[in-house]
Amino acid sequence: MAVAKTDTTLMRPLRYSDERHLEAHQFLVDESYILDSQRYDEWLTLLTDDIQYNLPVRVTTARGAGFDTAKGMSHFDEDKYSLSMRVARFATEHAWTEDPPSRLRHYITNVRTFNTDNESELFVQSAVLLFRSRGDNREPYLVSALREDILRLQDEGLKLARRLVLVDESVVRMQNLAIFL
Amino acid sequence: MSKGCTEVALLGLGPFMNDVSKMLADVRRGMIPAYVYNDSEVYELEKEHIFERSWVFLAHESEIPDPGDYVVRRVLEDSFIVSRDESGSVRVMFNMCLHRGMQICRAEVGNASHFRCPYHGWSYRNDGKLVGLPFHAEAYGGEDGFNKSGQTLLPAPSVETINGLIFVNLDPNAQPLREYMGDFAFYLDFYTKQSPQGVEVRGPQRWRVKANWKIGAENAAGDSYHTPQTHRSVVEIGLFREPTGSKRKEGALYWAGRGGGTTYKLPEGTFREKLRYVGYTEEMIDRMEDSWSEEHKRVVSEDGFMISAATLFPNFSFIHNWPKVDATASDDVVPFITMRVWQPISATETEVMSWFIVDKNAPEDFKEASYKGYLMCFGSTGMFEQDDVENWVSITSIAAGSMAKRLLLNSRMGLTSEDKPLNPPLANFHGPGTAYVGYGEFNQRALLSEWADFIEKPLEEVERLAMGEKKSKDASNKGSK
Repeated sequence: MAVAKTDTTLMRPLRYSDERHLEAHQFLVDESYILDSQRYDEWLTLLTDDIQYNLPVRVTTARGAGFDTAKGMSHFDEDKYSLSMRVARFATEHAWTEDPPSRLRHYITNVRTFNTDNESELFVQSAVLLFRSRGDNREPYLVSALREDILRLQDEGLKLARRLVLVDESVVRMQNLAIFL
Repeated sequence: MSKGCTEVALLGLGPFMNDVSKMLADVRRGMIPAYVYNDSEVYELEKEHIFERSWVFLAHESEIPDPGDYVVRRVLEDSFIVSRDESGSVRVMFNMCLHRGMQICRAEVGNASHFRCPYHGWSYRNDGKLVGLPFHAEAYGGEDGFNKSGQTLLPAPSVETINGLIFVNLDPNAQPLREYMGDFAFYLDFYTKQSPQGVEVRGPQRWRVKANWKIGAENAAGDSYHTPQTHRSVVEIGLFREPTGSKRKEGALYWAGRGGGTTYKLPEGTFREKLRYVGYTEEMIDRMEDSWSEEHKRVVSEDGFMISAATLFPNFSFIHNWPKVDATASDDVVPFITMRVWQPISATETEVMSWFIVDKNAPEDFKEASYKGYLMCFGSTGMFEQDDVENWVSITSIAAGSMAKRLLLNSRMGLTSEDKPLNPPLANFHGPGTAYVGYGEFNQRALLSEWADFIEKPLEEVERLAMGEKKSKDASNKGSK
């Protein structure tokens, strides 16, 4: 089910020197290296079993319309099962769209961490810019997005429990989303 | 290339022109010049000869349920507001202000009683009627200088609806939609009339692929042959049990009117058992029994075929699959349906607009599971579609050069050298049109011969409209084409 955007206007982020922020920031940066190198089995271990991974379709609406995502339609609306299937598919020898693999770079920036009502969960915002290059002469793809994550502290450390990805385009200029943001 | 060039071309004059008649002849015998998938001159012909006079899908009525609801959709470069007016009627209007040509509506979805132009403030009701023209008397001397009364945004030349699907045709004298699609309308009911109330839709997802628009249209029309190879990975991970080579070739390929599609052969059983096999619930099957004709039911029960992908010429496709959508150990599957427009952007780029559609009366948990199945299989993230698009982008890119101009791709699968089908058409098939069992490129050839017929047909003059000019019997509004 689609995840709603959080209104952070009245929320105060943790100071950058705060240990919890540093932990969250490091989690996102470490994760980006895993995604860049497409080590997706490892990525799955960073996700909680009840992960909600949602990337809605953005729409252009009049100011004041009160919505800017398509009703009931996302690009990704995933749980652990569907993400595991996607990862399993990449591991076959017949996922042509990533063979040869894309060269990926996830740039993660503008990270802010917030406490939540739940002591074991942090709310983390970040901006992501993905550069994706396929083949020798195709134009590279770029996609820019805001991410809103819930990171949950479990025995093994922080895990991603929820991610909302708000891409900054209504028409995705990429041949497919055979990547994760 | 300039307008009017086509006729010359067909006479065999000029370098490219000569190629056109040759190209059409090649296409009609099932030998496809590879360059047609990446050629700007071919694309110029398609723009006028196909997209200015064929029926193109714009929107579904359920996207604009209430008065004032609108979506903005395009046919190539032409933007249309598709709105529901206050009386509940669907209107399709060219999205250009009658005054200075400003784009009136710049949002893609919303609700509005009026559209006001941001440039000079002209405003229009949601049925298109021009109701506000600032300083009409002072600026124009009223009606004498600008005839405002009764003016509306330019209505789309032809608009028709079938099963809630709103189509537009830029030809004001277009053949009626039902006549145009012919017996493909029968197959449309499998996708969009599983109950008398029809479907609701979500989306569209929109994304751009550097591929020629015809490739997706051809693929959905009839390419059952690609499934075992292209989509091998989804069988390997257990997402979809059907598309093995042996299963796919047992399906029927049908072509009827201006559309056609592929099917899967189902295991033995009754109508109900077969629909259960692909995951429909008992109450949904009850409604299909009420909604579909005897012939529809016999295609499923006696012929034993379940619809899969299909295309209506030129660029409107459907897909119906039944994947396994959750982690339970059972073999339970859930069916989903998607419809999509392969909207050309250029000879080498297509915007895919892909909707999830589902029977309006389906149980909520079915709708959610079906939606999940769609996301896993098709659309921008779909595990089937990801591999399709990689192939289509590569075809388009490799068709750019001079070698592609020397290669005629053999699209004659299913035919002997004497143009006879390898296997005769199905004798007792209960659906309309012609159906074959086994691999064959019958439907891709049928689609591309429509393409050839449209390209060959000379363009006609179109009427022009001199906005606000005093009415006269002058014939100067005839444009030349």
